[in-house]
Amino acid sequence: MTKNLIEHATIVKPFTFFFFFFLLSCDSYEVVQIKVEIPAGIEIPEKMIYIPAGDFIMGHEEEPRTRLGKLVSSAAYFIDRYEVSHIKYKNVQPNHTFSPKSALYPVTHLSYFEALDYCKALDKRLPTEIEWEKAARGTDGRKWPWRLYVDHPNNGFSGFMSEPVDKRKEWISPYGVYGMGHNVWEWIDEVYTYPGQPENESELFKVIRGGLLQTHITIKFSPTYFRNWMKPDSKLNFIGFRCAKDVE
Amino acid sequence: MKNENQNQDVKEKNNSAFKFVRRDFLKLISFTSISSVFPKFASAKDDFRNDKNIPKQYIQNRDIPGFHIRSANPFMGVDMGNWRLAISGMVKNPIAMSYEDLFGMKMVSQVSRLKCVECWSAKAKWEGFHFSELVEKLQPDATAKFVYIQSADSYYESFTLEELLRPRVLFVLRMDGQPLSRDHGYPLRLIAPFKYGYKNIKYITSIKFLDTRKRNYWSNSGPYSVDGTIQPGIDHPLDFDKKPLPINGGEVFHFFDKRPLA
Repeated sequence: MTKNLIEHATIVKPFTFFFFFFLLSCDSYEVVQIKVEIPAGIEIPEKMIYIPAGDFIMGHEEEPRTRLGKLVSSAAYFIDRYEVSHIKYKNVQPNHTFSPKSALYPVTHLSYFEALDYCKALDKRLPTEIEWEKAARGTDGRKWPWRLYVDHPNNGFSGFMSEPVDKRKEWISPYGVYGMGHNVWEWIDEVYTYPGQPENESELFKVIRGGLLQTHITIKFSPTYFRNWMKPDSKLNFIGFRCAKDVE
Repeated sequence: MKNENQNQDVKEKNNSAFKFVRRDFLKLISFTSISSVFPKFASAKDDFRNDKNIPKQYIQNRDIPGFHIRSANPFMGVDMGNWRLAISGMVKNPIAMSYEDLFGMKMVSQVSRLKCVECWSAKAKWEGFHFSELVEKLQPDATAKFVYIQSADSYYESFTLEELLRPRVLFVLRMDGQPLSRDHGYPLRLIAPFKYGYKNIKYITSIKFLDTRKRNYWSNSGPYSVDGTIQPGIDHPLDFDKKPLPINGGEVFHFFDKRPLA
């Protein structure tokens, strides 16, 4: 009996492994999308997504610097489908230079203030934390925008390599937003605060959301509720942004 | 009765203190004797070499507790009789500076952390000069947007000019109030605190201004990026018992570190 069980386990485990490997590696894997009804009279700006008003699960109960997995409410808003690319940034800042090969890669090495200026020039703004997290995880409290755990394909490499902003359809969020957990970190229009924060840090940092966590040659996707922080004048290769907009 | 007990306690403490000193003294004698008879035994115990096959006189990887040493190619150190800092490439007049010339630059000091890609970090006070001084002196061509640096141990690094002109980047001559030691890059090293340790090239011999980017030593030798910007993740600071602490990316400041005012 015991022997049979062991044999059964050795057959099932590899099968299960290969099934999930196949599921996650093939291009046909699709993130189930939330069906959103767009109210009459609302016109969605080009390459933005309408996120409806309502509650969603924000933070995680074991992460004290988050909203602890509680229900949080948001108004309806628009958010960019993609992170801002070099070519899009150049449309607003004609002096911006980049290699032609990187036109569709996210623009980086910009401070919070430069990101904000770009959004304002298009009559938009940077997203709040509530807006960013809801767009990334939908309403079911998922840890990654695409829901299931996957290994990062570049694991084993120490360094950051961004990807074109529209590359990973298999990793879109349940609202269809790209790049919310596997490409650049994104500037958020909020000061980084948390309970017990030292007073001398209270106004020092802005929140950044949704990039990669790397230690030596291990690369992990950051969970949708993970809050990172950065001085707003920082210009680094792993920070980009996207814009949001009120629904009027 | 209480006083008697207290006196007894004091006597015991005094005796134990004496015994402790005597024990330590005997230990010292015995170790000194062993080292004099077996010098290899002593050096193997206290020179922290990671590879005991490399002669101890060589600069090499050593896990010294307060500040680990990393050096890609073991060597005996710089021969100062022949050392000059050669600056060339897309500049009007290439020059070679002596060690003494470098002390003519405006010295700046800062405390910053060196964060190794292997996960540990350590902090020191660094003194040196800003790259902007060399740029002013050399006036490179406007198209020279990249800088290639070579060292005395056949190591090489590559940067954008903009990165080297950042205010926290120093070309360093002194560390913790002393001239750089051989281990830490004498006579000249780079400190770019927002880059992993491997970008902080030591024993610098030449600087070239270029209009195209070259690769660096570790991107040609292992799974490491040319850019080398410190990424968000985890650090194990040597001055915090290597306990894991989260880092947000870029220059590392832990909760017990003092941030620069500007």
